[in-house]
Amino acid sequence: MLAGAPTEQVRAVVERVSAVLKDPRLKAETQARERRDRLRKILYSGFDFSEMARRSLGSQWRRLSPQEQEEFVQLFTELLERAYIDKIESYRNETVRYPKEKLDGNFAEVESRIVGQKGEEYTLLYKLQLAGGEWKVYDVVIENISLVNNYRSQFSRIIAGSSYQELLRRLKTKQVNLAKESK
Amino acid sequence: MNQTRTEIIVGIFVLAGLLCLGYLAIRLGKLEVLGSQGYVVYADFASVAGLKPGDPVEIAGVKVGKVESIALADDRARLGLRIADHTKLQEDTIASVRARGLIGDKFIVLTLGGSDRILKPGDRIRETESPPDISDLIGKYIGGDLTSKSEEKGEQK
Repeated sequence: MLAGAPTEQVRAVVERVSAVLKDPRLKAETQARERRDRLRKILYSGFDFSEMARRSLGSQWRRLSPQEQEEFVQLFTELLERAYIDKIESYRNETVRYPKEKLDGNFAEVESRIVGQKGEEYTLLYKLQLAGGEWKVYDVVIENISLVNNYRSQFSRIIAGSSYQELLRRLKTKQVNLAKESK
Repeated sequence: MNQTRTEIIVGIFVLAGLLCLGYLAIRLGKLEVLGSQGYVVYADFASVAGLKPGDPVEIAGVKVGKVESIALADDRARLGLRIADHTKLQEDTIASVRARGLIGDKFIVLTLGGSDRILKPGDRIRETESPPDISDLIGKYIGGDLTSKSEEKGEQK
């Protein structure tokens, strides 16, 4: 079965990320900002962070004003970046295959198999949506656990237990702490 | 005469006991009665091991419906979920299979989404999470440690 457009989109993003990470001119710590700027650009081309943020916030999203929604998307995206940038940068030549793709109208699932250094196999499932003629990832599922659902459960628990403002406060605090760490 | 009195008292107690039982039965029974009310939506899962028709569907711990049917659709399990009429599900609602404790009774958890579009009767919940396979996880643990799994979780992002 020939891989379709969704798989090609995922493959392209992964390969471009890999190219940036392998580039000797960007390896140094001093190059961190430029390297991350490039990675950010690539990831934005393949991921719809706005959609991911909306889905992660769940029903609370509809209670927000457009400005509040925008604020949340910003915060969420920055949080994701700080949480995962180190892990992305630690990617080391693992073999990646794309054994399966599922198409369902404007939605698709792309399965990626990664073989680690010790030979262990991991499966990452990308969920994509076709928007404006482009396939973009809106969720990643690892070992049957969806990133979006994980965040949605966490966020809604905080909102129900305290308030949306409390959620914002906690997210912002994490953000500040993480920034300090990476210095 | 004493005996009659005793019998009457015993009889009253038995009656009271039966009434209590009856009350309990009706109260508990009411929770189960969805019958043919509500509407049905579908959800496809890679695996629904342990789920059976009648298992509850919950939102935030509150029962909002039950599993009505389990069938095969291609290589996935298609669940028919009967949901209470007043419960509205957004298009990006996520359905997950959970268990009470690690190996307890299975049930479906729904987390509501942020979309404006509401699912209509007969629609499909697109976002689903199948239960993690415990033996799978054990295998991964033996074959390769779990800590490296979380490291590479972000690699492909």
